[in-house]
Amino acid sequence: MATLLGADITPEEKQQLAPVGYSIEGEHSATCVLVDQDVRHIAVNDPDVEILPLKDALTRYDWVQDLMFKLINPTENDHVAQAAESRHAPVGHFIRVRKGAKVRLPVQVFTLLETPQGRQFHHNITVIEEGAEVEMISGSAVPPSVHAGHHLSISETYLREGATCRSVSIEHWGPAMEVHSYARTHVGTNARVIESNIQVSPVKHHYSQSRTVIEDGGVSNDQSVIFAPAGTGRVMESEIHLKGVNARSESIARMVTGGGTITNRTTLVGEGRDTKGFLGCNGLKLSDEGEILSVPALRARSAQAQLSHEASIGMIDQAKLSYLMASGMSEDAARDLIVQGFLNLDAQQLPEAIRVEVSRTIAAANSGAL
Amino acid sequence: MTTPLLDIRDLHVEADGSPVIHGVNLSIPIGETHVLFGPNGSGKSSLLATIMGLAPYRVTSGEIWFKGQRIDALPVDKRAQMGLGMSFQRPPALEGVTVEAFTAAIGSSALLESEASALDFNGFAERDVNAGFSGGEIKRWEILKLLLKRPDLSLFDEPESGVDLEHIAAVGKAIDRLLGADTPADPQRTALVITHTGFILDYIHADVGHLMVDGRIVGSADPRTLFSHIKAHGYSMPPVTANVSQTI
Ligand SMILES: Nc1ncnc2c1ncn2[C@@H]1O[C@H](COP(=O)(O)OP(=O)(O)O)[C@@H](O)[C@H]1O
Ligand SMILES: [Mg+2]
Repeated sequence: MATLLGADITPEEKQQLAPVGYSIEGEHSATCVLVDQDVRHIAVNDPDVEILPLKDALTRYDWVQDLMFKLINPTENDHVAQAAESRHAPVGHFIRVRKGAKVRLPVQVFTLLETPQGRQFHHNITVIEEGAEVEMISGSAVPPSVHAGHHLSISETYLREGATCRSVSIEHWGPAMEVHSYARTHVGTNARVIESNIQVSPVKHHYSQSRTVIEDGGVSNDQSVIFAPAGTGRVMESEIHLKGVNARSESIARMVTGGGTITNRTTLVGEGRDTKGFLGCNGLKLSDEGEILSVPALRARSAQAQLSHEASIGMIDQAKLSYLMASGMSEDAARDLIVQGFLNLDAQQLPEAIRVEVSRTIAAANSGAL
Repeated sequence: MTTPLLDIRDLHVEADGSPVIHGVNLSIPIGETHVLFGPNGSGKSSLLATIMGLAPYRVTSGEIWFKGQRIDALPVDKRAQMGLGMSFQRPPALEGVTVEAFTAAIGSSALLESEASALDFNGFAERDVNAGFSGGEIKRWEILKLLLKRPDLSLFDEPESGVDLEHIAAVGKAIDRLLGADTPADPQRTALVITHTGFILDYIHADVGHLMVDGRIVGSADPRTLFSHIKAHGYSMPPVTANVSQTI
């Protein structure tokens, strides 16, 4: 009973998407794949989930236009302004989970950049309606032949009152690519968002900016697993606003440089009464190459905001390495185990294919870096 | 005479520039268990760590031979791969590295469940190695770790200190089993054990005791005789037997 839109994706494309989470469509409530500047494939198996190309959603529902550029200021910066002023119809997906739905199977959403030196520019809107619950997997990938190109995305996500969304996103871009992403999330009254972000494969420059606003009783939990091999630069800027009474958040970033640079600026703003938030930023430096700059900031606007942070950056402890090697592990194997332990992949509840891919990517970059 | 499994010749060691071992000679034949006694700070842990190849211990002169090969210049993983293993006195906490992941990394996943139950260590698979373990749990894990690997020569640095009375027998028996009590046909397993309390002597068959003072082995004797003497008179050699070879 799947509703299909657009063409199917090829076996090669499926293979490229598998390491970033793609699996059997029949085991998902919906699947959506964007290829270059096309919404190539949409398959929906659950009537409570609706996925449309954004340009179709804009004409089908007159309220969708009001959700666009609502969470992000169209003059935010040059990238966003260009998108806002573009004469072309927007390319991206519109996802809606209907009111009260407890969606049993996850929704999977992917982006592929297939053209070398391609330019990709997406605007995605997601609405989880009142009381709905859903799990999402999103992944981005390029075929091995694509090294360079530019991906730019804007996403606006709305969790209505009492909605819950668990999401895992994993990105695997080309090593010479530029990526800019702007994510905005509105966590409504008593809504919950639980998010894991995985960025471990090589990319020339990745700038990601996010802003989450949490209303009364809302909760946001996010964990980021960040790895920068040599030649990779990542900049993350995020803001979490505890706006409503009793809004809560926990944001944990684990960052490892194997020679690349990572800048992470996170600001937690306590605005509402009885809000509570925590930022944890831990960095691990594998060699003298590369850099980690970690800037956790707390801003309390309410006298009843309880905000805290923990930040650390260290090297791999020689005593830990020796301890593992004393049980017969090689130095590479011991390093891997420590790095993977530091990134704490088990805690992310990742799909097995993603976990294996992340381990493999880190192990490969790790032994290459030494 | 057959070659000893471990042979240490006139070993001098320093740690971060301070001399800690001053000319140790020690031979352990295959299948024997030797016990090392000595006051705090006499260099017992330093000696074990040097045999294993751990930082910051640096051999300044002398030689360490294992299985007929000189190992004092080998990295720690090579020594472990040759069949050396150590139960640490104060191991580092490995946050994020679970008992399960560690066991998988040494290729022993199939053994974990059965070996763990003997040490009352079931339910620890998801715990991080040595992180948030009690003193006794650390010791039990350190023994379990060796049981998962069954080294030919096991080095134990105070395996029973901090273990509660409820578990002391389990730890003692596990060490005995590790040393081959369950496989009488294979009397090959060899050990060097540091003990402070002497409890361990009730559970294992120890062949020789050595007394270490100020970075030197000052004498060797029957381990029980030596331990009784130490309990009564402090860290000195019993008068009659200065050399173990005269007693056995
Ligand atoms: N890393 C180190 N740097 C300097 N001195 C050390 C170091 N490790 C051990 N020592 C010194 O070596 C001596 C022996 O210590 P240790 O081997 O731990 O003794 P034991 O195990 O017999 O109690 C002590 O005086 C101790 O302070
Ligand atoms: Mg000691």
